[in-house]
Amino acid sequence: MNFRFDLIAEYAPFFLQGTLLTIGLSLAGILIGTVLGLFIGLGKIVQNKLIAFPFTLYITFFRGTPLLVQIFLVHFGLVPFLFGETNAILAGIVALSLNSAAYIAEIFRAGIQSIDRGQMEAARSLGMSNVQAMRHVILPQAFKRMIPPLGNEFIVLLKDSSLLAVITAPEIMYWGRAMAGQYYKVWEPYLTAAFIYLILTISLTFVLNRLERRLKTD
Amino acid sequence: MKKRSMMFLGIVLMLMVILSACGSSEETSGDTATNKEEEEKKTLRVVTDAAYAPMEYQDKGNVVGFDIDFVKAVAEEAGYELEIEHVGWDPIFVEIESKRADLAVSSITINDDRKQTYDFSVPYFQSTNKILVPDGSDIKSAEDLKGKKVAVQNGTTGQAAMDALLGKNHEDIKKFDDNNLAIMEMESGGAAAVVADNVVVEEYAKNNADKNLTVIEDETFDSEFYGLLFPKGSELVEEFNTALNAVIDNGKYEEIYQEWFGSEPNIDILKEQQ
Repeated sequence: MNFRFDLIAEYAPFFLQGTLLTIGLSLAGILIGTVLGLFIGLGKIVQNKLIAFPFTLYITFFRGTPLLVQIFLVHFGLVPFLFGETNAILAGIVALSLNSAAYIAEIFRAGIQSIDRGQMEAARSLGMSNVQAMRHVILPQAFKRMIPPLGNEFIVLLKDSSLLAVITAPEIMYWGRAMAGQYYKVWEPYLTAAFIYLILTISLTFVLNRLERRLKTD
Repeated sequence: MKKRSMMFLGIVLMLMVILSACGSSEETSGDTATNKEEEEKKTLRVVTDAAYAPMEYQDKGNVVGFDIDFVKAVAEEAGYELEIEHVGWDPIFVEIESKRADLAVSSITINDDRKQTYDFSVPYFQSTNKILVPDGSDIKSAEDLKGKKVAVQNGTTGQAAMDALLGKNHEDIKKFDDNNLAIMEMESGGAAAVVADNVVVEEYAKNNADKNLTVIEDETFDSEFYGLLFPKGSELVEEFNTALNAVIDNGKYEEIYQEWFGSEPNIDILKEQQ
C-alpha cells in the first residue's frame, strides 16, 4: 500500500481550518447545551406535573431520535424557516446544542437527585428559601458529581460534530470527505481525521481530569 | 448467583448470534464465488450510486434508471447475469479498486485521472454540466457564479468544473454527498445555484415544475462521456465493449434512450469518441 503523505500535506491547511471549526462548534454546543440542559433538567424535577411535562417531552424527543435526523431537520427545516436561508454552521451549533441539552438535562437531574434529601431539609431549616438552598447547597455538591458524566457527554458531542459534514459545515470530516472524493483514497483522509479527533478528545480528557482533581475535597 | 449466570448466558447467546451472522454472510459470498466458475451464465456484481434520477435511482427499494436498463441490455448481450447494488458514490471506487465488484454503472464520466486507477468501457452516453437556478436569478452564465455560493455533489465533474472556475476547495463551493441534497440546499436558500449533469438537472426541473427552476447552458463546460467502470486490467472490458456496440447497433440503445428521455440519442458522437 502506498500511503500518500503528499496528499495529506496538500490538504493540511484545510484540515487545520476544519479543526478550528470543530473546536468552535463543540465549544458552542457544550456551552449552550449546558445552560439549556441545566434549565431543562431543573424544569423536569419540578413537582408540578403540568410544568414538568414539556421538559420531559423535550428530552424524550431529542434523546429518542438520531442526531443525524435532527441535523437534517434543523438545516433544511428550522434554520431556513427562521432566517430564509440555510447556514450550515448555525444549523450545526443549534443541532448540537439542542441534542446535548437533552443528555445534559438528565445528567443534571441525576446529579441533583443524588444529593441526600437531608441537605435540602437542613438548608431549609436554616431559613433558606428553596431557590437559595438549591443555589448555595445542592447545586455546588451536585456539580462535583456531574463532572465525569458531563465530560463523557462533551467527548461524545465533539465526536458527533463530525456528522455535520453532511450539511457541508467545513469541519474536519468535511475536508476528509472532500479529499476522499478528489483522489478516491480512503486511508489518507480518514486516518488523518481520526488522528485529529483523537488528539482533540485526549486534550479534552486531560482538561476534565485536572478539573475533577481540583474539585476533589477529600 | 442464578441471575448472574442467566445474564452471562444471555450475553454469550447474543455474541453467538452476532458472530454467526458475520460468518454466514462470508459463507454465502464464498458460495457465489465457486458457483461463478461452475455456472454457464456468470453473475456479476454491479455497484451504483442510486441517487441520480433519471440515470439511476431507487424506486420503492429497486434500483432503476436509464443506466440500469442499459447495463442489463449489454450484459444480456454478453451473456452475464447482473446483481445490482446501491452503495453510494465514494464506495463505488473503493469496491471497484479492491475488485469486490465486477463493474460499476453510475453516470461515471471518463477522464484521465480516473483512467490511471480504473478501466473504462467505450463511451455510452454524452453529457454536459448545466447550471440549475431558481427562476428570476441574475445568474445567466458560469461567469456569474463567481462570488455566489454553489452547491455540487462531492467528487463529481460538476465539482471539478466549479473548482476550475472558482478555485480548488473554494469556500463558496458546498460539497454534498448526493445531488438531491445539493438541490435541497439551493431551494432552502443556502446556495445560488447547483451545477450537475444536464439530464439530472433537466429531469429535476421537469419533475418539479411548481418550484420554478431554470436550467442554464454554458459552452465553457465541456461535453463529457459516461463509461462503465471496471477494475484495472479487468478481462470483462473487451467483452462489454463488443456487447455495448452491439446494443447500440441493433437499436436497443435507442429504444431505452427513447423510453427514458423521450428523444433521439446522438449515436454518431458516441461512435466518434471510440
